[in-house]
Amino acid sequence: MSHIIEIKNLKKYFGSTKAVDDISFDVEEGELFAFLGLNGAGKSTTINILVGVLSKDSGQCFVDGQSIDDMAKILPNIGIVFQASVLDKKLSVYDNLRYRAMLYGMDKKEFEENLKYFIDKLDLKQILKKQLDKLSGGQKRKVDIVRALLHKPKILILDEPTTGLDPKTRKLVWDMINEFRRTTNLTVLLTTHYMEEASIADNVVIIDGGKIVAQGSPLALKNKFASDYIKAYKYDNRLLEILDKTDILYKKDKKCLEIKFKNTDEAKIFLVENNLLFKDLEIVKGSMDDVFLSVTGKDLKENV
Amino acid sequence: MTKQSEFRKLGYLTLRNIKLYFKDKMTFFVSLITPLILLVLFIAFLQSTYENSILSIVEDFNLEQSLIDAFTGGWLFSSVLSTSCITVAFCSGMMVIDKINKSNIDFMVAPIKKSTLQLSYVLANLFSTLIIAFVLLAIGLIYLACVGFYVTFVDFLLVIFSIIITSLFGTILANIIWTFTRSQGVVSGVCTLVSALYGFICGAYMPINTMGEGMQAFVSLLPGTYATVLFRQGFLNGVLNEMGKTLPHEMIDAIANGFDAQMSFFGHEVSTLAMILVIAISTLLLLGIFILINSLKMHEKNKNKKA
Repeated sequence: MSHIIEIKNLKKYFGSTKAVDDISFDVEEGELFAFLGLNGAGKSTTINILVGVLSKDSGQCFVDGQSIDDMAKILPNIGIVFQASVLDKKLSVYDNLRYRAMLYGMDKKEFEENLKYFIDKLDLKQILKKQLDKLSGGQKRKVDIVRALLHKPKILILDEPTTGLDPKTRKLVWDMINEFRRTTNLTVLLTTHYMEEASIADNVVIIDGGKIVAQGSPLALKNKFASDYIKAYKYDNRLLEILDKTDILYKKDKKCLEIKFKNTDEAKIFLVENNLLFKDLEIVKGSMDDVFLSVTGKDLKENV
Repeated sequence: MTKQSEFRKLGYLTLRNIKLYFKDKMTFFVSLITPLILLVLFIAFLQSTYENSILSIVEDFNLEQSLIDAFTGGWLFSSVLSTSCITVAFCSGMMVIDKINKSNIDFMVAPIKKSTLQLSYVLANLFSTLIIAFVLLAIGLIYLACVGFYVTFVDFLLVIFSIIITSLFGTILANIIWTFTRSQGVVSGVCTLVSALYGFICGAYMPINTMGEGMQAFVSLLPGTYATVLFRQGFLNGVLNEMGKTLPHEMIDAIANGFDAQMSFFGHEVSTLAMILVIAISTLLLLGIFILINSLKMHEKNKNKKA
């Protein structure tokens, strides 16, 4: 696979605030890449530099082999969904999509053909003539995504696309994105502060205070930065006596006994040595929350 | 994807801007009703004053009342129309609204030139102003038909030209200001200021020779004044010619000078062609400034990108 996005030593300062501080990463073609961080970590600044909304202070960015110094060559290959919709609220869905599509050099025939694909896929027919501000949050987001994909870009950038949406709508949005990923070789660059969204990505970059603090696949990050747990639902009470004699941390409640290990190997060894004391158990990998807490020292849930 | 010229993109963007402006029916209604209210107020409070002024000049002659009505009607309506071309231009722009709604970001991430986007705002602003100005003109012509219609075809063409050039002048001036702001408060403030002031400083609300000497000199330096006088000529030339059948030439000159159907620049009479040139050259100068400002902004942005 080739790098479709390459970022090298990118810096962007706003006065004394280091919004993006010397970050480098690559995005492979066709992957779902997540950019994880708290509000103000530098995610949106990076995206805005990548699409030409903001200028960089230093560093290099390449999209599909082209430097972002020449945005005219890059923009036709990018579709972007902003956190808040930037479409015209007073215009109909159809007019919004038509006027945007024409900016990508589509003629009316091509626009109608592309639109038909989305009408069929996303059941847009009922809302096509409706004014944008008369739509529900989920419907608006659907239109935002269609606007971003209508010109068939190679890269879809999603800047916190599900922030403020209810769980049902979030699912709808992700079903849509996954459907397009399945049927095309679309590269998706996602910024998010939702762990469940980051955990389904192929690769994750965690950014904190403008700096990259960890990067890799969710599994690699969990293996490196998160603990493993044995959850014992039925066990011999002698297990507690053994644990008390060690420095292994554990937590006991009415449902189960949760034993924390540094890594999977440690958990396996303990399990082999005490296998007769366990009657019903499961081994659970640490979550992305644990990874985030481990690398930033901040709890994402508290900060969102 | 087929090749499409930047020109077509400009067309669609302009269409989008106009559609968005007129989407709110109230916007159109308010844009139209404001000058109409002004006309009604003028007729109610000023018509008799101007009628008396003319009567005091022509008291020794038996001038038909219908001619006096047509003259005051034309004068009042030319005041409203010349002012509206500027005030509507200032209040119908989409550039700042797009900045406030952040729709401009959506265009920044689309493959269009910044100059195309800026030009689309100017064109849409111009067309929106022209639509309202021409509807107003239609209403004004009906009004003049009721009080006395003496507008010749040539004068009508002069009115059309005056509408287009004044709207263009106002549109470019407004867009130069909008380039520097992203605040609705600034837009509202400037609109209010222009609506309140422009009519006075371009000689639309009162004849220039009723102003103090200093003010007369000041307004004669403003291009808007020349646009107003062009409107005056368009609406009053016909009725003045008709009056000339009854009144001596000197008296017609006195009325034309007194009611701004003729313009003098520090004592020198300014011809219609010279007035057209003043407003046309001023508009071109503003266009140059607008292009220069946008070029400098683009240059600054590109410099930052390459830094």
